Amino acid sequence: MIVQKAKGIHIDGRKSMSKELPLQDYLNPQFVYIHLLRQTESLKRVVEVGEYVRIGQVVALREGWGPLPIHASVSGTVTAVKKVWHSSGKMVDAIEIKNDFLGAMDDSITPEKDPSSLTKEQLVEKMKQAGLSGLGGAGFPTFVKYQSKLPINTVIINAVECEPYITSDYMMIDRYPEKLLKGLHYMMASVGATRGVVAYKAYNSHITDVLTPFLPLYPGIEIYLSKDIYPAGWEKYLIQQITKKTYNSLPSEAGAIVNNAQTAMVFADMVEHNVPLIARGITITGEGIKQPRNFLVPIGTPVKDLIEQCGGYIDGLDSTKTNYIAGGPMTGRAILIDDLIVNDTLGSVIIRPIPDPKLSVECMGCGKCADACPVFLTPTEIWHASERGDIEAVKRLKASKCMGCGLCSHVCPSHIDITDFVDKAKALIRKGA
Amino acid sequence: MARFSAGKAPFIRIADEKNQGTQVIMRDFIIGLLPIILFAWYKNGIKVYLEGNVSFLEMLYPLVFILLGGLISFLMEGLFFMITDPKLRELKPLMNKISTSFALIPGLLLAMVLPLYTPIWVLIFGAFMGTIVGKMLFGGFGHNIFNPALLGYIAVGFTLIGVINANGGVMNQSEVLIDAYAGATPLSLLANIKTINYDQLVTPYGTLWNFFIGTIPGALAETGALAIIIAYVWLSYRKVLKWFTPLIYVGTVFIVSWVLGAVVGDGGVWFPLYSILSGGLMFGAVLMATEPVSSPKNPLGKVFMALLLGVLTVLFRYVGNYPEGVGTSLILLNIFAMPLDRFSATIRAEGYNKKSSIIKITLFLLFVLAIAAYAIIKANGMYTAGGII
Repeated sequence: MIVQKAKGIHIDGRKSMSKELPLQDYLNPQFVYIHLLRQTESLKRVVEVGEYVRIGQVVALREGWGPLPIHASVSGTVTAVKKVWHSSGKMVDAIEIKNDFLGAMDDSITPEKDPSSLTKEQLVEKMKQAGLSGLGGAGFPTFVKYQSKLPINTVIINAVECEPYITSDYMMIDRYPEKLLKGLHYMMASVGATRGVVAYKAYNSHITDVLTPFLPLYPGIEIYLSKDIYPAGWEKYLIQQITKKTYNSLPSEAGAIVNNAQTAMVFADMVEHNVPLIARGITITGEGIKQPRNFLVPIGTPVKDLIEQCGGYIDGLDSTKTNYIAGGPMTGRAILIDDLIVNDTLGSVIIRPIPDPKLSVECMGCGKCADACPVFLTPTEIWHASERGDIEAVKRLKASKCMGCGLCSHVCPSHIDITDFVDKAKALIRKGA
Repeated sequence: MARFSAGKAPFIRIADEKNQGTQVIMRDFIIGLLPIILFAWYKNGIKVYLEGNVSFLEMLYPLVFILLGGLISFLMEGLFFMITDPKLRELKPLMNKISTSFALIPGLLLAMVLPLYTPIWVLIFGAFMGTIVGKMLFGGFGHNIFNPALLGYIAVGFTLIGVINANGGVMNQSEVLIDAYAGATPLSLLANIKTINYDQLVTPYGTLWNFFIGTIPGALAETGALAIIIAYVWLSYRKVLKWFTPLIYVGTVFIVSWVLGAVVGDGGVWFPLYSILSGGLMFGAVLMATEPVSSPKNPLGKVFMALLLGVLTVLFRYVGNYPEGVGTSLILLNIFAMPLDRFSATIRAEGYNKKSSIIKITLFLLFVLAIAAYAIIKANGMYTAGGII
């Protein structure tokens, strides 16, 4: 109550349903669609309609503060540029590539002769050439973190997956444990860090079993078991727990970098085989899916294909009373048409029937939201201040500290979208500033 | 292609689960009232009947009186909705509205803190002040500034207490027969004799054990400390209220009145125990200070309010003119709940280790201490420890 220590709430994981079946490869969809959008940056297309592209060939460029090349994920002909759904809930332009099923590789994809001889600068350059961005959900260009001026001594792999339903990191580590450690090893080498930490939830003892045989091969790497609470996978929380330090704006202030588990795996592929970011793991799950499971898919795969592979929706699903969620159930977005395409940050699609609504009740001020807030804000106060349009009060109440974890709405007994109100308050600060 | 529903993250809500949500919280609150209501009935009805002092029908009266309080406020609120909103003139929408407005509670609570033999028209007046003036005119459930039941109680207490006393108010039929009480509740006795002395304050009512069980004169349900503690455990377990608010409130009163007793001349632990077990403190701390709408929302604000309530209760009770402190301090802090919430929310958001936060907290604690010191110094001039003289 008074002592301000980082905290969270246990939420039922609902993860077992998508762990029943092993990770399935689905590497050859008929069409892939490469979105011309990364984070909020539009990409510059560098291929024309009708052109033949190979796997790993650059098809678009991200420009601006975090420049990255974006690669084709299958080989074939560029057949169109058209608008498709993106996990941000909008329709964006995408390059349509018709798969020729030949798997023709770009010439750049060759095994690296001596990966251990690469210098820091060369490793960071590879990170950039791989088009690598955070696969956990934020999509932040990875190499930018590694160009930090501050000394970094700890690299943390975030495999906590604190949101319910999602198991793609778990399944990927289960299949490629050594690749994860290799990726972390190269990431540590990229900044000269001496400590590497793989963080995941303590109940995932299976991960410990698969990682332990390889651990002696990679000195400096240890395991951190996190509590089964939400949001245990929040960057700041992880850094506080692992390094016992905290920071204001950037993790590098605490001498740490946090990367997603799958990001590390892609980096291992890039360093050793020059394979850029062309595929990722994704969980297709929820009570509305016949047989939930995980897939390894090329970026740009239509989710529809994957749902088909899962046996489709359950019989008699009333889609108008169901949420199609892109991303996790706590922070994801409802997609209105089931025509979503896998992009770099999409780790899961959840089909979840909406529970029967109860009678709506006014906020009674119970304060459960303030109690639950991991950054000690008082959401009700922020909400009222922003309704009054009182920007000064919103600033004083530190609305900008909010990371949008969604716990305030989650715990609200009156089913109020209070996270949304806080978001509006944050927008008010941005507009006012 | 199928069209799916819109929605907002987070998609998993505790409120959707069975046995969760505001309506369940309110149900749990009423369940929490049961032991207190049952005790009130036992003390004022069953026990008196067993002692042969009232008839069977009179035995039922305390229970009927409390339920009547709930019914009156329920009807008033229904009537208010029907008059003000044409859409609510049919039964189904009206019942839906009332069930999310929790109309029973103000009247129930009000009846519980009124003395037995309060005329029904006084109860109706109190329920009107609480439900209509205190709650509905402010915008209904969730918008009231004052705790509705408390406002009704204060309105009755300051205007019609003479009517209640004339009807035989605070004591039940059995208690009237005991000469030792001299017609007074423990607190009004203290206000009359201005003496802090065990033999004079506690002995007329038996021992402190009677205070704990609740078999002392007082309003219908406020004396049953044990029943209220049972309710407190249940309500904390069901997370209807924050467990620390009542604890800090009662704890503050305990400590300050212990010091007060010691300064006046009797440092025995009986006096702080007497302080927390008499009057409406337990009832107010568990059922009124925790009322969510009219108290601060964030945990630090709740701590601040409980501390202030503690020192103000001692101040009003032992220094003020009325033998009463809980109601006054609660209603006063209802007014300050909003600024207090904002003040504490800023401290919490800044972080407790920030210099500005430490200064604010220190100033607040000094303010609390100043009130406590003022109460103690004033009381020292008013009371004596009778036994020595």
